[in-house]
Amino acid sequence: MAQARINPIRVKDIGKPAEVLSPVNLQELAPLPPPFDKDDPAKLWKELAAERRQEVEASLDGVSALSLKRPSSPEEEKKLLEGFVAGLKKLLSTENNWTFLQPLTLSLEHCTHCQTCAEACPIFVGSGRNEIYRPSYRADVLRRLAARYGNGANPLKAALTGSVDLNWNTFARLAELAHRCTLCRRCTQACPIGVDNGLISHELRKLFSQELGIAAQECHRTGSMQQLKVGSSTGMPPAVVKDNIEFIDEEMSEKVGFKIETPWDKAGADVLLIHNAGEILSWPENPGAFAIMLEMAGISWTLSSDIAGYDAVNYGLWYDDFQLARVALKHAEIAKKLGVKKVVIGECGHAHKALTVIADRIFSQEYNIPRESCLTLMEDIVMSGRLKFLPERNDFPVTLHDPCNMVRAMGIVMPQRRILHKIAPRFREMTPHGVENYCCGGGSGFAIMNPNNFASWKYLVAGRVKLKQILDAFEGELDPSIPKYLCAPCSNCKGQFRDLFRAYNVFERTNLLYGGLVELIVNATEGVPEGFLEWEFH
Amino acid sequence: MAIFTHGNISLEVDEDGFIQDPEQWNEEVAKALATTEGVSELTESHWKVVHYLRKYFLEFGVAPMIRKLCKETGFTLKEIYELFPSGPAKGACKVAGLPKPTGCV
Repeated sequence: MAQARINPIRVKDIGKPAEVLSPVNLQELAPLPPPFDKDDPAKLWKELAAERRQEVEASLDGVSALSLKRPSSPEEEKKLLEGFVAGLKKLLSTENNWTFLQPLTLSLEHCTHCQTCAEACPIFVGSGRNEIYRPSYRADVLRRLAARYGNGANPLKAALTGSVDLNWNTFARLAELAHRCTLCRRCTQACPIGVDNGLISHELRKLFSQELGIAAQECHRTGSMQQLKVGSSTGMPPAVVKDNIEFIDEEMSEKVGFKIETPWDKAGADVLLIHNAGEILSWPENPGAFAIMLEMAGISWTLSSDIAGYDAVNYGLWYDDFQLARVALKHAEIAKKLGVKKVVIGECGHAHKALTVIADRIFSQEYNIPRESCLTLMEDIVMSGRLKFLPERNDFPVTLHDPCNMVRAMGIVMPQRRILHKIAPRFREMTPHGVENYCCGGGSGFAIMNPNNFASWKYLVAGRVKLKQILDAFEGELDPSIPKYLCAPCSNCKGQFRDLFRAYNVFERTNLLYGGLVELIVNATEGVPEGFLEWEFH
Repeated sequence: MAIFTHGNISLEVDEDGFIQDPEQWNEEVAKALATTEGVSELTESHWKVVHYLRKYFLEFGVAPMIRKLCKETGFTLKEIYELFPSGPAKGACKVAGLPKPTGCV
């Protein structure tokens, strides 16, 4: 692309004037396997129109995730930069950041720049190793800003490490750069000394949101704010969600030949199941399959029709601790009110992390209600012998995607595999897998963010390594005459796969269907008529 | 906020071209918005989808489940993608004057 580019990029260049610091280079992208290697990436790339480029900041890489407007006056710019410094100081103080200060400080102070993290990052590798996507690049910018502008700023250290100027370029590019990382924390796991570059992206997003009100609108305004107000980030109020579930129940009853009736607000149930509400609208066979499985296994369960009680999402996890706490407390209050024995989180990765390992930090005794992953509940059901299975119904190649939050963050690795070994005779692993999986490329809110030309960046860069990994798992079997299944037990990942597969025409070219885990279980359950899984792209 | 103009029509739309005030929608607006979605002519099939979306939205204030849309209109999802290349949420909803779908849909 014909754009002015600084080369090679150094950390301090982030503040330098340049129309675009380091554009996406379509010629350098990591290669895809045949036949996708012949695809022209330019067909998927969307150049930001010159007019739009005047309106919003895209000076990092020519992409805009935030639609960030430039300040209209020097005073406004000064206010924003002062706000950044105030936010930076808060991030680095116990009273304002008690939840994350320790890992943040350790990460800022102890990087040895060995660069092990870089090759672990699917965005850095997928982009063809664009310097600005290196996990340590973003972290180094923050390190240098902290040395110069943080609490107890150290001018000598700042000068020795190469000072970064805090100006509008730095501000705007850093806000965007915090959104070129899916918070998958594969780099964190690879780091020999435990530096958490994923946390650094997260803390930067917090700074922008909590101090300056700058956040992706899909996550904040129409996301967590709408969830707290209406009941769900999808905009569904309680009456609509009930109507939709009734529709799903009817469809499922027709499919199985006996009555399926989802229980609502059943006090004292063993299990309060909370789905990502997006499943209900876009992948209804998933909550439908849960209802069938739970009913057939004789589990005492319920859904909640309270505000936020029927939507497990907690977008605050990605950008704002206050929003995270508000939603997590709602979930706990509802569980307490219903007096359920435990909360089970549906197939949604970030909801898992938000309501378990992160919420653990804020739930005091009365709210500390047992919370469980649907993966372990499903393992109990499948392994207990309560249901009988006909694995031959799943006699097609199946591979498994490991959602980062469930697998790498929480360590739930084997339950889903034990299930698949029992019900999917042609299950095979991707390489690498388990805690070493690659992110789908839609993590941290990216799956729901499509402003400006951000979607094209997701298809070409963020999802690239994953797409290669999925296709490689079916090497020699990509021919569309062979139906095959990508099992992805996470709504966010499914949204990314749907859009990624459409962008590359994956379903038409290879007959590769994506879907959740519970659908495969029900498809192979004895007593459910054959053909639960509909082989149609959705 | 951007202004979308087409012939005599001038409307406030968001960055992705979704109408800001659903009250301003009418069939002429639908035809104009369709041009932004690579749909040059709205056929009977297009209208069937658009009118169902519109009716549901006016009744419930949100977009319907995709599955309901398919069942009520009799189209498969694939056919809806053929009618509206950006799909039911990003394409058909836009033409029907619904706000941009939100959440993990």
